[in-house]
Amino acid sequence: MTKDSSPHSGSPRKQDVSRRLFLQTIGISAATVATEGQAANANAALNAGGPAIIGPLPARTSLKVNGQKLDYIAEPATTLLEALREQCNITGPKEVCDRAACGGCTVLVDDRPVTSCMMLALDATGRKITTVEGIGTIDDPDPLQIAMAEFDAMQCGFCTPGVVTSAKALLATNPQPNLDEIRAALSGNLCRCGTYPNIFNAVLVASGQAPVVEPTDRGRSVSGEQA
Amino acid sequence: MTHQPRDLRAINAGQSVADHATRLDGLAKATGAARFGRDQIKKDMLWVRLIRCPWGRAKLDSLDRDAALATPGVVEVVVSGDDGDYHGDSIGYLVARNRRGLERGLRALNAKWTRLDCQTGILDDEQARGPMDAPSEAAAKAIDAADFSFEARYSTPVQTHSSLETHGLMIEPDGENSIVHASTQGTFVVADQIGRFLGKRRSKIVVDCEYVGGGFGSKFQIGKEGAAGGLAAKSSGEAVYSFCDREEEHLDTGNRPSLLCKVNVGHDADGTIRGARFETFGGTGVSRRGGGARVPSGRFEFGTLDARNHRDVQFNAGGPRAMRAPGCPQGAFVEELLIDEIAHRCGLDPLGLRRRLDDSDRRQRMYAVAADLIGWENRADTGSQSGTMRTGYGIGTCDWGKGRAPAKIEVVVHPDGHLEVRTGTQDIGTGQRTAMGALVAARIGVPLANISVAIGDSRLPAGPASGGSVCTPSTAPAAMAAADLARERILEGVAERDKLDATKLTIDDGVIMEGGRKVVRWEDACRRLSEPVSVTGEFDGRASAYWGEGSSEGVQAARVEVDCETGQVFVREVIAIQSCGLPLVRKTAESQIMGGVIQGTSYALFEEQVLDPTTGAVLNANLESYKILGSEDCPKIIPVLWRDDQTGVRALGEPPVVPTAAAIANAVFNAIGRPVRDLPLRPDRVLAALAEPMAERVVAVAPRTTEQENRA
Repeated sequence: MTKDSSPHSGSPRKQDVSRRLFLQTIGISAATVATEGQAANANAALNAGGPAIIGPLPARTSLKVNGQKLDYIAEPATTLLEALREQCNITGPKEVCDRAACGGCTVLVDDRPVTSCMMLALDATGRKITTVEGIGTIDDPDPLQIAMAEFDAMQCGFCTPGVVTSAKALLATNPQPNLDEIRAALSGNLCRCGTYPNIFNAVLVASGQAPVVEPTDRGRSVSGEQA
Repeated sequence: MTHQPRDLRAINAGQSVADHATRLDGLAKATGAARFGRDQIKKDMLWVRLIRCPWGRAKLDSLDRDAALATPGVVEVVVSGDDGDYHGDSIGYLVARNRRGLERGLRALNAKWTRLDCQTGILDDEQARGPMDAPSEAAAKAIDAADFSFEARYSTPVQTHSSLETHGLMIEPDGENSIVHASTQGTFVVADQIGRFLGKRRSKIVVDCEYVGGGFGSKFQIGKEGAAGGLAAKSSGEAVYSFCDREEEHLDTGNRPSLLCKVNVGHDADGTIRGARFETFGGTGVSRRGGGARVPSGRFEFGTLDARNHRDVQFNAGGPRAMRAPGCPQGAFVEELLIDEIAHRCGLDPLGLRRRLDDSDRRQRMYAVAADLIGWENRADTGSQSGTMRTGYGIGTCDWGKGRAPAKIEVVVHPDGHLEVRTGTQDIGTGQRTAMGALVAARIGVPLANISVAIGDSRLPAGPASGGSVCTPSTAPAAMAAADLARERILEGVAERDKLDATKLTIDDGVIMEGGRKVVRWEDACRRLSEPVSVTGEFDGRASAYWGEGSSEGVQAARVEVDCETGQVFVREVIAIQSCGLPLVRKTAESQIMGGVIQGTSYALFEEQVLDPTTGAVLNANLESYKILGSEDCPKIIPVLWRDDQTGVRALGEPPVVPTAAAIANAVFNAIGRPVRDLPLRPDRVLAALAEPMAERVVAVAPRTTEQENRA
C-alpha cells in the first residue's frame, strides 16, 4: 500500500488510532493483492474489539444516493465522484478537471452543492446524496430540467448535469434569484460550448420569473425585410 | 443608451425552418441520461495511461518496469522510446485493472528524466524563425507611393480546445466485433483508424458516439490515447478504457497555434490602402506545419498585396490541431485592429472606413444593423475619454466558404406514423440531431413529435466528420431528398387508394389535404403500410437541387468597459449578426452563434498557454490556471440570424468565433486610445498600453460622424 491509503479522519484522536492500525497492517497489505474477501477479513481483524473503522484496505460499504442505498467497494482514497461513476454506475456527474475548478461533478450532499471530485467517498457515508439523476428523469423531469431543454441551455451537454445540480441548489435556498445571483451561483460551473445566457434564462423561468428578453420595436426588419 | 432594447426572439422569429423546435436530446442531457464515451465504465475493464515526458525536452535515464508490473492491479507496461520532445510527449503506456492501479503503477515505474535545453516559443528568437522572402517589388512600390506608411507587430497566444470531455475511447469486445465508444468529431474516422491497433478489419468494428462532450477541431483523430487503447484491447482481449486526464488534455491534444504577424501598410490621408505586406510566423510546437493564419482575409481592399510570407516555427511543445475556424480569429484580430488603427490615423470612423474597404453587399447591410443594435452613435472618439472606467465600441467581420462532402440520410416510415431519421454522423453539440429531425419533419409536414433520430453510430448511413462547418450543409440536402421520397411514397399510396391526384395532395401538421379538404391523417395513411418503408436520400458532395443558394457572412459589434486603474476589460455586450444560408433550427442556431461569441471573448481576454522558458513545462495545464470564460464574465449577446431569401443550408459552426476577439480589441482601442496588439488583452498589457502616448494621428481633421460616412 502507498501513502494515499492513509485513513482520512476528522478528529485527532481517531486519526491516531487509524494511523496505529495502518502501521500494524503494512505487513499484511504490502504483500496482499486485496480481493474483496481478503480485505473484509483483514479489516474485520483490525476492527475486532475497537470502534468500527473502515480501511485501510478496500472495504464494502454503502452510499445513500437518490434515495437508494448503493453498496460499493471503497478504498480510503476513493473520491465520491469515483465511487458514483466507477462503482455505482451513476454517470451523470462528470469528471472534467478532477480538482474542483469546473463544477462538472457537482452533486448535492445533504442538499448542498459539492464538487464530488474533492470529497472522499467515506466522508459521504450516511449522508443524503443527490445527483442530477435524482433531480428528475426523462419520464419525470424537474421543471428546471424542462426549462434547460426549452431554452437550449446546453450544446454538447457535458457540463449540463453539474449546471443543473448547482442551479437546483441555488433555487432551494433562493427560490427567486435575480440575474446577478444566478451568475454568482453558477460561477463554479464552466461551459466550453458557451451557453451561459440560455442557462440564466432557464433558471429564471424555472423559478417562475421572466427570461431576459426585452421589448422589441423592430421585429424582422433587422435582416432587411420589411416588418 | 438611446436605442431601444429588442426582443431577441422577435428578431429571429420566422428566420428558420423550425422556430420553436427544442433540442431533441435536451432532456437526456439535462437529466444525466445521456451517456458519453467517458461514461462507458465497466467494473471489469482495463485502464490505460500514457507515460509522458515532464519537461520541454528530456532524455529518459531509467524506469523500473519490474516494480510497476509487481504493483497490484498493473497488467502491462509498454515502453517504446526514451526521449521526449515536449511536455506531455509519450514514450509508452501502462495498463491496469483500475484507476488506483494506474496511479500506483506510474509511481512504481519511477521514470527518471534528464532535462535538456529547449525552445519555448516563436517570439523570443528572431534567428530561429528564419528569413522571409524579399518583399515583392510591386507591393513595396505601392506602399512607398502612399501618403503614409504604417508598421506594426501583432501576436496571439496558444489556445487549447479545452473540450470538457477529454479525448479518448472505450473499447469493448462483442463476439467477433469490437464496439468503440469514442469522444470524436468523426464517427467514420474512428472506424477507419482504430482497426490497425485493434488488429481488426473495418467490418468488425462498430463505433458509437451518440453523445460527444465537446469537439472544437481536435477530435478528428484517435490520438495516442486511442492507439494505446486499441493496442491494450488487442493484447488483452478485454474491455479497455483509455481517456486523457485534464492535464494530458491541455498538453497533448492539439491547440490553436500562436501567431506573430508583422504588417507594413501604405495608406493615403483618406484611409485608402495602397499596398500591404503581411509576414506571419505560426508557432507549431513540434509539428512541422499547421501554424497558418488567414491574414489578410480577402474581405477588405488592401491595394497591392504582398501576403504569402508565412513561416511555421517549431519549438518544444505539443503541436496544433485545427481549432474552430483555424487561422481565422488570429487573422481577423490582426486585420481588423489594423483597419481601426489606420482609421484613427486618418481621423475616420472605423465603421465608415470598413464599409469603404468591404465590397460584400450583405455585410454592408449588416454593418448598419450592428451599429444600430450596439448603439454606435454613443461611441466616443478614440482616445477622447478620461476617468477610470472608459467605454469602447468595436466591429469585427467574418465570411466562410461553401465546403461540402458526400452524405446519406435514411428515413424509415413506420406503420404507426413514426418517422425514424438515421445518420451515422455525430452531434458534437451543434444540434445536428435536432436539425436533421426538424428538417425532415418540416419537409414532410408532420409534427416533430413524430420523429426520432438515430445518430453517431458507424452502422448508420455514412456522413461527414464535423469539420470545416460542412456537416449540416452536406447532410441537409440528403435529408431533404429522403424526406421528399418518404412523403411521395405515402402520398402515392393515399392517391392510389382514394383515386386522387398525388400531385395535388399536401401535408399540413400531420394531416393530408387536397386543396382545403382533409383527406386522411398522416398516422392513418401510414397504418396502411404492411411494413416499415425505408428511403435514403443522398448528397454527392457537389451540387444538387437541394444545395440551393446561400453564404456565411457575419458582422459583430462589441461594447466594452475598461477599468484604467486595474487594466481589466469587461465585455458588456456583443451583437452577432450571422448568415448561414437557410437556418434550420432557431434555438440551436442561436446557441451556435452565442457559443462562438463566448469562445471568442474568452480568447480575447483570458486564454493563453504558458510555457516555462527554462524547463519548457506547461505551467497552466488545468482549468484552474488555464482560464476560460465563466458565467460572471459572460457579456450580453444578441445573436441575429440573417436569412435574406437564402435557400441552401450553409456553414454556421465556425464563422461566429472569427470576429469576436477582433471586435473586442477594437473596442478596447476605442476606449483607451492605444491599441493592445497582443492577445489576450490582459490587465498588464492594458496598463502598459495606457502608459504609452496616445495613438498617433497623421491627418489633422475632425472625425466624420457615422452618418456622414454612410452618405459617402
